[in-house]
Amino acid sequence: MADKAQKFQPPHPLTRKIRKTGGPSPEQAILRALNAAEDLIDNYQGWAVDDLTALWKAYEESRNGGSPRQIQKMFEIAHAIRGEGGSFGFQLISTIGDSLCKFLEGRKKLAGAESEVVKVHILAMRAVFKQDLKGPQPAMERELRQLLALLRERMG
Amino acid sequence: MSGYDFESMKVLVADDSRPMRSLIKSFLLGFGVKEMFEAADANEAYELVTQLEPDIVITDWRMPPTDGLDLVRKIRMDMESPNPYLPIIMLTGFTELHRVKQARDAGVTAFLAKPISAAALYRRLCTVIDDQRPFVRVGKFFGPDRRARRRSEPYMGVERRRDSQ
Repeated sequence: MADKAQKFQPPHPLTRKIRKTGGPSPEQAILRALNAAEDLIDNYQGWAVDDLTALWKAYEESRNGGSPRQIQKMFEIAHAIRGEGGSFGFQLISTIGDSLCKFLEGRKKLAGAESEVVKVHILAMRAVFKQDLKGPQPAMERELRQLLALLRERMG
Repeated sequence: MSGYDFESMKVLVADDSRPMRSLIKSFLLGFGVKEMFEAADANEAYELVTQLEPDIVITDWRMPPTDGLDLVRKIRMDMESPNPYLPIIMLTGFTELHRVKQARDAGVTAFLAKPISAAALYRRLCTVIDDQRPFVRVGKFFGPDRRARRRSEPYMGVERRRDSQ
């Protein structure tokens, strides 16, 4: 028999502490947030270089098949990149990072030309940074997503 | 027109990525939040929850060697937890439906997909503040009522609207 659910009201709901008025309007708040983050967003490429360098190193180490640990390491880096890229204005970086995560997730080794799929993703990310492809790029994003999906399908 | 006054809200941001922690804190600063704390993993985050008693936690999922889900379960279920009702936003690059359900079943209040935007974070904070759901204890679960379908319930899926990017 299923356990009976007990319900509780939170004793200190946030609605009692946070007023719905008195602060900046949503538009003002969001604009201030973007201004506050401006320098960070400008500096993102510098941080991303470290991630790409680490990813390239992991790729080179795994060219002869790779161990589950090496592949997991690449997945971790790609996962971080997909979260960070678009958050800092490089949506295409998130698109490529997401594709690489899909390719690597659950994989135990890279057989034959499979490591080349990783290489293509890293080179694509480098190209995005080199061309400074910031901001929404819906048409290019759609095309890139399709191409990378095709690559994963053919090579995976 | 004025909006939410976040000045008195204390927020803990847990993420293993320093750039992401800095970005989220900058957004929060822009919204008017004055008190923010940060942690790089779940253990450190739980320590800060016990010491500083934040009003809301924004946590990443994957924070090797720890895990944001462990943090959520600890806040909800640990006998020593200072506030099992603490609102928790899971902010993660994992966006598959089974992951969203896993986060919900661990007891998160709301889910927000990376990459994030200032607008998406603002909206999520507002919905979490307005969340009126009761908490439920059933079996090994303790957290916001997963069956409630109130208007104020935070959306648990992935934001896909163009303006949220």
